[in-house]
Amino acid sequence: MPSSATLTDSTRSLDETRGVLLSLGAALVWPLQAAIIAWVIGGLLTDPGRIAPVPAALGFLALAVLRSGIDMAAQRALADAAEARIAGLRAAILDGEARAATASGLGGAGALAALAGEKLEALRPYLLRYRPARLRAMVVPLVILVIALWNSWAVALVLLMAGPLIPVFMALVGWAAKTASERQMVEIGQLSDLLVDRLAALSDLRLIGAGGPLVDGFAETSESLRDRTMAVLKIAFLSSTVLELFAAIGVAMVAIWVGFTLLGELGWGSWGGTLSPAAGIYLLLLTPEFFQPLRDLAAAWHDRAAADAVLDEVDQWQREDRPARLGHGGGGGMDAGPVALRLTGLRHRGLDFPDIEIAPGARIAVTGPSGCGKTTLLRLIAGLDRPEAGRILLGGRPLDEDTATDWRRGIGWMPQAPHFLNRSLRHNIGFGDPVRPEVLRAAHLDGLLAGLPKGDLTLLGERGAGLSGGEARRVTLARAMQGAPQMILADEPTADLDAHTAAAIAEGLMAYAEAGGTLVIATHDGDLAARMDRVIRLDNTRGEAS
Amino acid sequence: MLVVMLVRGERRAFLRGLALAVTVLAMGVALLGLSGWFITAAAAAGMAGIGILFNVFAPSAMVRLLALGRTAARYGERLLTHDATLRALSHLRIRLLQGLLTRPYRTLERLRANTFLNRVTADIDALDGALLRLVLPALAGGAVIVTASVALWLLVYPSIALILGTGFLLLPTMVFLLGQRIARRPARQAEAAMQASRSRLIDLIAGRDDLTVYGQLQAAEDHARNAHLRHSTARARLDRIERLTQAALDLTGAGLTAAALAVGAMLVQAGEISAARAAIGVFAALALGEAVAPVRRALSEIGRMTQAARRILPSLAVAAPGGTREDMPGTPSLALRDLDYRPGGSGRRVFAPLSLTVAPGEIVALTGPSGCGKSTVLLLAAGALEPSGGTVDIGGAAVGAWSREVLGARIALVPQRNALIAGSIAENLRLAAPGAAPRDLWQALEAVQLAETIRARGGLDSRLGFRGAGLSGGEARRLVLARAILKRPAVLLLDEPTEGLDEATAQAVMAGLRRALPEAVILLAAHRRVEIAAADRSMALDRTES
Repeated sequence: MPSSATLTDSTRSLDETRGVLLSLGAALVWPLQAAIIAWVIGGLLTDPGRIAPVPAALGFLALAVLRSGIDMAAQRALADAAEARIAGLRAAILDGEARAATASGLGGAGALAALAGEKLEALRPYLLRYRPARLRAMVVPLVILVIALWNSWAVALVLLMAGPLIPVFMALVGWAAKTASERQMVEIGQLSDLLVDRLAALSDLRLIGAGGPLVDGFAETSESLRDRTMAVLKIAFLSSTVLELFAAIGVAMVAIWVGFTLLGELGWGSWGGTLSPAAGIYLLLLTPEFFQPLRDLAAAWHDRAAADAVLDEVDQWQREDRPARLGHGGGGGMDAGPVALRLTGLRHRGLDFPDIEIAPGARIAVTGPSGCGKTTLLRLIAGLDRPEAGRILLGGRPLDEDTATDWRRGIGWMPQAPHFLNRSLRHNIGFGDPVRPEVLRAAHLDGLLAGLPKGDLTLLGERGAGLSGGEARRVTLARAMQGAPQMILADEPTADLDAHTAAAIAEGLMAYAEAGGTLVIATHDGDLAARMDRVIRLDNTRGEAS
Repeated sequence: MLVVMLVRGERRAFLRGLALAVTVLAMGVALLGLSGWFITAAAAAGMAGIGILFNVFAPSAMVRLLALGRTAARYGERLLTHDATLRALSHLRIRLLQGLLTRPYRTLERLRANTFLNRVTADIDALDGALLRLVLPALAGGAVIVTASVALWLLVYPSIALILGTGFLLLPTMVFLLGQRIARRPARQAEAAMQASRSRLIDLIAGRDDLTVYGQLQAAEDHARNAHLRHSTARARLDRIERLTQAALDLTGAGLTAAALAVGAMLVQAGEISAARAAIGVFAALALGEAVAPVRRALSEIGRMTQAARRILPSLAVAAPGGTREDMPGTPSLALRDLDYRPGGSGRRVFAPLSLTVAPGEIVALTGPSGCGKSTVLLLAAGALEPSGGTVDIGGAAVGAWSREVLGARIALVPQRNALIAGSIAENLRLAAPGAAPRDLWQALEAVQLAETIRARGGLDSRLGFRGAGLSGGEARRLVLARAILKRPAVLLLDEPTEGLDEATAQAVMAGLRRALPEAVILLAAHRRVEIAAADRSMALDRTES
């Protein structure tokens, strides 16, 4: 797994720095625009004839164009940087999940898909807005404060008093919002997972009249999500309200001071006791812009709180110590050819397994009560789990990182609960290769395919939607035989099938064995077990070959 | 249409929110306009030496009132509109599930969980914005621009009112319409790519083992990465459109402010209006920029919203209601007469026309090879499928004549798949009988020989993973049967009920079922000797080739 530093640290890219600086530049154009307005209105009061309205308006417009241009360049650089960052995280999650051998403790496939999808998207507003807003909040108020001080110490004093209080409130409220927002993020993931879970069961549950309770349960979850969201929003809105309040009071005080001074009622606050009308209007125009960067930062602060919650989750995902899969799980490689398999002293997840030798062409049934480790044994042989102790030898070479990929090329795998890809039936059997007709016949799928309106192009989904249990099993058999493997590992191949079809599947497997294939079957089915050369009975905790 | 529906649910909350939104914007425009007028008029009075006569108190009190009132109104507006939106959306989710619950069985089966999960979570999140970022700002902004124009007409000068009114109404609308047009395609692409990457990541994670053994893991990873790339490309295009929109809106505001400045100055020079009145126009133009700012946000989301609404709407409608009869007798019998089914209107019969009567307290087993239509008969008997010929009578009336509630309460079908959900054992059991007492739950578990196992696992509150993970196949099977017993149905339809159970347990479970529901009609699709032996009689289903 990639080191934590590459994912969640705060390295700045060149694009981002450029974007942040440009965004500051755009904000600094406004004092110039405001000066033109102040100059025109002030001039109209003192000497209307001297004002040239159209050139002044065009000057204002030209500055606006300049500002927009700079802003667009800033946004572009920031968007590029944000996309690079999000794409990087997405790739890391994809990569990590492909490399890990076990499920993440973070949740099911739905939770991780939500993390890589909409949750990472929550980083975008943060990346676009937070740093530029922070820089603007540090520079723009200072610039305006200096301009204000140049004209009037009273206005500067008002700004100085109102300004620094804002970050204090922001920090307090932002901190509360982060906790609330974390709670909400957790809930969003759970809701996605619960939805997949509930929806998968929807059609079956309706058949026992459980649709109503299912919807009720979901309604409860949805309501609780709303409550939590409102709790976050109440705090989020409160903090921006505090800010707006300060800004409003500041603007009102400046407006009133300027008004009274211009009337001649106040003789203090400005240098020399007088203030020109243009300067007064200029101060009024600048005051809201003193607060604006702080308000932007406050808005971005909540983006940051949401982003932090997401990044924490990514971090948590990353810190998980998950065993890596043996081999790389890709295609290619060489078929290892028929080899004798020797299992010695295997122990995994508290289960001990007997020493077993499997010669090429052997037919072996693994039996025993539920939980005795039948499935685990098959997974160990397939190299899906690394045994905690003991070794698996492939004709003398151990099954390890180097040999696993080649070894698996020669295996056909029939899991008990297959996950069908959200792709065509054909792809689910042949993974892109055309399905061999003899395979379809052996798995008794030809009749089924003929009945499907789109044949082998029919889309499958999770749990093989649209297929009965028996049909799904036959698809996994076809998939196992498709690659003409040396060995088939089958977990309960005849479960879910009626006697007739079970016999047919058994026939298919036996025919494969007759042709020289090695067969290892975990089964409850006594009839099937009896047709194997050898039965290995696993005991609950202590394996004994018999 | 969807908007109407969203609004209708919470009309009062929405109208209150709208009223506050208009108040906020109007107060903002009034505040800036008044401040500009106040300062300019004060300066004029001061210069004229008549400052003493100038009534400063009314305007300065107004300035303070507007500043504080606006802040308060803003907080209220945000809370009310968000709450109304979330309520409406919670309602929407539930209606969606309710609508889907009334869909025909086959439709529901085909809804693949992946695609469907996307629909519910992503679409509803997208619609989150419909009220808040589209409808409300449009209504509030339009109202304020019109009001402000009328005020400017009366207070300043008709030509300035006309320029600002038409400019702010028309230009942003054009930007919106144009932007929406060019953003449609990339928005659709981004959305599709996002859904694809989600579904592919789910496939990769849920199918990790199968993909590993078949050497397809890297291919699956590339497949998902592909979707990520497509998303990046579309996202970059959308970002660019957003930047252009932002620039167009900024320049609209700047251009109209420049126009108000130039026209105002010329009118002052011509002696038509005072400088103070010209200042109102300029300041109002600056403030109105805020009313049109939401256009950008609306644009960035309209693409997703339209698609989401288009997908969600058809699913909301509740399909034709079931029958109306409520008076089902206490112990109805089940009668199938000349029952016939040809899927999809094709001419192909699944089985030869079937006639069968099952009396209360009787167990009948349907036998026949896999694919001969046993499961179909059960679905027909449950009213989940419409027969192509013949009738299904329950309690003396056609199954379709009974209301949905009665059918849900009195008939239960346990399909082959074990429909379990994440949650406690008790939650899973209570899906069928929401109010059941713990004693009843234990009784049902005893009947299916599962009580011992559940006790060992930690009792009714022990939790299952997604889709019931944590139970073995046989345990899950028995839990599902216990749930059907709790339902206490008058007609129980079982599809291969003892699959995955060993001989002795299967026998005990069948006996337990009979004891627990002595009066019920039990029809089962059987493929094991033990099931057929437990039945009072069996009936072979003939496969027909016609």
